[in-house]
Amino acid sequence: MIRIAVYGKGGIGKSTTVSNVAAALAETGLKVMQIGCDPKADSTILLRHGEAVPAVLDLYNEKKQALQLEDMIRIGYNGVICVEAGGPTPGLGCAGRGIITALEKLKELGAYDVYKPDVVIYDVLGDVVCGGFSMPMRNGYADKVFIITSGENMAIHAAANIAMAVDNFKNRGYAELGGFILNRRNVPREEEKVEELAEDFRTSVIGTLSHSEQVPLSEEQKKTLMECYPDSAMAGEYRTLANQMYAICREDV
Amino acid sequence: MRQSYRIIPIYTADVSGVCSALYELGGMTVMHDPSGCNSTYNTHDEIRWYDQDSLIFISGLTEIDAILGNDRKFIDDIEHAARELHPKFIALAGSPIPFMNGTDFPAIARVIEVETGIPAFPVPTNGMHDYVYGAGIALEEIAKRFVEVPDSKKDGSSRSVNLLGVTPLDFGPQENVELLKANLEQYGWKVVSTWAMGDELETLQRSAEADVNLVVSAVGLRAAKVLREKFGMPYVVGTPNQWMVEEISNALDKAGVRQPEQPTVYLQNRMQQDADITLIGEPVTMGSLAAGIEKKYGCAVRVLCPLKECEALLGGKDKVLLGEEAMEEALKDAKIIVADPLYRPICPKNSSFYELPHVAFSGRIYIR
Repeated sequence: MIRIAVYGKGGIGKSTTVSNVAAALAETGLKVMQIGCDPKADSTILLRHGEAVPAVLDLYNEKKQALQLEDMIRIGYNGVICVEAGGPTPGLGCAGRGIITALEKLKELGAYDVYKPDVVIYDVLGDVVCGGFSMPMRNGYADKVFIITSGENMAIHAAANIAMAVDNFKNRGYAELGGFILNRRNVPREEEKVEELAEDFRTSVIGTLSHSEQVPLSEEQKKTLMECYPDSAMAGEYRTLANQMYAICREDV
Repeated sequence: MRQSYRIIPIYTADVSGVCSALYELGGMTVMHDPSGCNSTYNTHDEIRWYDQDSLIFISGLTEIDAILGNDRKFIDDIEHAARELHPKFIALAGSPIPFMNGTDFPAIARVIEVETGIPAFPVPTNGMHDYVYGAGIALEEIAKRFVEVPDSKKDGSSRSVNLLGVTPLDFGPQENVELLKANLEQYGWKVVSTWAMGDELETLQRSAEADVNLVVSAVGLRAAKVLREKFGMPYVVGTPNQWMVEEISNALDKAGVRQPEQPTVYLQNRMQQDADITLIGEPVTMGSLAAGIEKKYGCAVRVLCPLKECEALLGGKDKVLLGEEAMEEALKDAKIIVADPLYRPICPKNSSFYELPHVAFSGRIYIR
């Protein structure tokens, strides 16, 4: 089983990228599980054609000890297994601790043993702002962390913070940095800046995605681009990225 | 110096301090916590638990309630209980989990007050302070919210006083409090209210009728300052034990005319030489005892205080010492020690040890 965590600044396109990568990996016959680690619980929405997946924490709140694994699993496009951790209403509770509890519940109820995914992708909210958001990179969860960024300064700054967190945890047996993914916004010196960032963290830019009008068009249809425009050049880019991420993770298996 | 505890226990925490201070006032005190805070409180800290009813509650906070911030459940549970029990007020005390969560207690108290019509207020504890802080801020809230402007002009001939900072944590059972009151009454003082043992909220509400406040433990200092600010009431600090009551009575008389610059009676006219006797504990009760011993026996006494935020209540020979290691080190050369019996194992073998149980330290173990 390959386990990946994807981080990056809010709004950079993590969920869109992760959903398309999940669909691309599933195309090759792999069983993929995508776990949204965000209180908004909308990571897998494109794989589910706009239909929400009930969040683990809401279900746990409602059913307590009667919570069953099947309650929190939904199957999306190409058979991708969709899970949403969920979290509190904005401004209340503790979202970070929520991620920890949701991932622990999933493990406790045997999500990985029962569904036996070949690939698990954790799509993690924005920055590593507290302990809970490092949960997906902790021992027993992801093995590799990929960080999505554009060439915009704020995105690079957030990406550097996340990479720093991964670096700080290297003695703890946490996930390693797999590399950066450039999601182009077509700003000046974009590639050069992200290459520099990768060099600073002694890693590389493992994939580049173009700024494509087809991505928002697919979102309008509440679908992944992989489903809407499977023969497009952009779909090809997602396939290349998916293969690259998979290959990097396979190196260590 | 490490602040770890190997042999001796730690003092009662802030949450228990709140409950202890508000126990007899007819309000409802709710600790927002899974359960640990209440079992420590009723098992160890509260000597009145089995003999006297009080509305002390625990919210039974669960993991998922904390994560999702299910404040409404907390509010609904409190309101449900309050509608049945008609408390005079509702006090909300925080514990480590809501502290880490940033639970907005002032906002929750406001919602409860609006929805029930019962005065509700937060007491910002987090389980990481000692009881002096917790009980102190609880009484401070009572002073802020409930004490009323006196109806009539005071009778010029009366000499009346409130005792501030009286909880079983420092004074044990009620009979000890009655002794303090009797000591003052011998000197012609009328005790209007005792904060907060043996008196109801209504009595405390009339506190501003008294001429002066007497802070008998560190717990009462915050309330004294509020009453000074609100009503211009002067205050004096000291415990009226049998040896110090005369000095305290004189200080109260003077304070009735003007707030003294140095209100701590027991720090005045103290012996300057190195101490022969060491007292350990709460600064006001122990400081007053130290002054009393010096006066009666002519032996110099110092106080070692293991509680935070008490520096202003200590004298030149005294010290705040936090942690067992620091206390053990400071006791190395002590010849005569007066302290709670649980201190004995860290005292030098060749010292003379006199037992003086302190509920805030050893709980109900030595209460008979």
